[in-house]
Amino acid sequence: MKKQLFFQSAVVSTILSYLLIFVGGLVRVSGSGMGCPDWPRCFGRWIPPTNVEQIPSYIDPTAFNIVLAWIEYGNRSLGVLVGFSIIVLNIIAIYYFRKEAKLFISAILSLILVLANGALGAIVVSSVLNPFLVSLHMILALMLVSVLSYACIESYKLIHVEKFKNLEGNKTLSNSLILFWILIFVEILLGTGIRTNLELVSIENPLLSKGELLNALDSYKYFHSFLGFTLLFLSIYIYAKLKNNSLYIVKFLGIFILGMIIVQIFLGEMMVFFELPQLTRLFHTWGSSWLVGVIIILYNCISNEQSK
Amino acid sequence: MSNLNKKLIIAFFSVFILGIIGLFTIDQATQSRINNLPLITEIPAFQLENFDGKSFTEENLDNQITVASFIFTQCEGACPIMSTNMGLLQKRFAESDELQFISITTDPDYDSADVLKEFSNKYSNKNNWFFLRGSIDNVVELSQDGFFLSASLLPLGHSTRLILIDKERNIRKYYEGTVDANIVELQNDIVTLIKQG
Repeated sequence: MKKQLFFQSAVVSTILSYLLIFVGGLVRVSGSGMGCPDWPRCFGRWIPPTNVEQIPSYIDPTAFNIVLAWIEYGNRSLGVLVGFSIIVLNIIAIYYFRKEAKLFISAILSLILVLANGALGAIVVSSVLNPFLVSLHMILALMLVSVLSYACIESYKLIHVEKFKNLEGNKTLSNSLILFWILIFVEILLGTGIRTNLELVSIENPLLSKGELLNALDSYKYFHSFLGFTLLFLSIYIYAKLKNNSLYIVKFLGIFILGMIIVQIFLGEMMVFFELPQLTRLFHTWGSSWLVGVIIILYNCISNEQSK
Repeated sequence: MSNLNKKLIIAFFSVFILGIIGLFTIDQATQSRINNLPLITEIPAFQLENFDGKSFTEENLDNQITVASFIFTQCEGACPIMSTNMGLLQKRFAESDELQFISITTDPDYDSADVLKEFSNKYSNKNNWFFLRGSIDNVVELSQDGFFLSASLLPLGHSTRLILIDKERNIRKYYEGTVDANIVELQNDIVTLIKQG
């Protein structure tokens, strides 16, 4: 019952965090980051203004754009909601699981990460969207969903001990999943590097078309594609290893990872050939964040045996 | 297992809904940028003189997007920052022949053509930035009645705002010329106007 409670709370926090990454991506692709020029309030108000008259006199109304303000406000509100859901998770952890190190530490760590990322959000706004800080804001969010995914699967395993009892461990597979996770993270860093550089070039050269911007990038954009295809082969290997696994969830996650990598490569190529349509960018980023969490869940599913 | 299939269908459906929400939001944001540049007012007729002696009137605003400012060369506070920011925009949009800059002095007694030329050399790096002077009465009138910017206690009391004027002489927006976030905003709005043609 208590384990169930922790599990459900972790799942809610994880899903909300993934939604938050989606909305955060939406803020970036729609260019709404400065929708609220102040922080934590928006034009001096806890609820953004709906017309220019509501803006207090000490704030310059020049930048006021009601649509952008509400998009940015959506990101902040959802962030607060995620914060509350993680506080609930921590209350459960402190109350019932102080001696269960895996659950307790992952709960505390997720709280630290969500608070740190909230504070970083304030710095992002005050830096007028420095591209490095914006990317760091996303990296911290990825760490948050990693920790939360870990909390989910560990509490799930405590509830369904018998399911995982007879699972045969496989050292090579576990190691290749660790490698896969690291490579995914490197791939995401390369991706954010491309985005950061695109934005930096675009600030200095506001008239370049998106195609010209891509051409202006350093050669490491090719590493991103190269690593993408490497990940494809690795995910085929993992899929082959898992396709006869006795546990349905393990089998399913193997298919999910392979499918997601294929979708990601497709979206990535779309962005190059169709000059970075914004919705594609959004799902490319969001899909990569799913991989980060899913691999952690899969790893902890199959490495159950070895720890015993 | 059918339970899982049901969850999968819900998940796919949710992602689909998110995609539609995303598309709608992005479209709204793009539209809002255009709507956020309302036609404020048309610049009235005026006549000033560039430092090279050529006359500059409202007709010189036609078919050009213009960024305008009020400054004076001896000013030590806002003007250097405003002018540096304008120089930055001039450099970034150097490839465009649809954009020009004007800076009108609020101290025509001191700011002779030569002084303005020297000031221009310091900040401008292309010949699309005009440093204009006229009688103080003309300048006050233009600031207050043309640009709706206060101009009391000149030269010090000039406005520190940059003004974005479209190709049909309409004021579209004001920006605090010393605030980085506003300069970014101005840059984005120039791109929006250029794309509109």
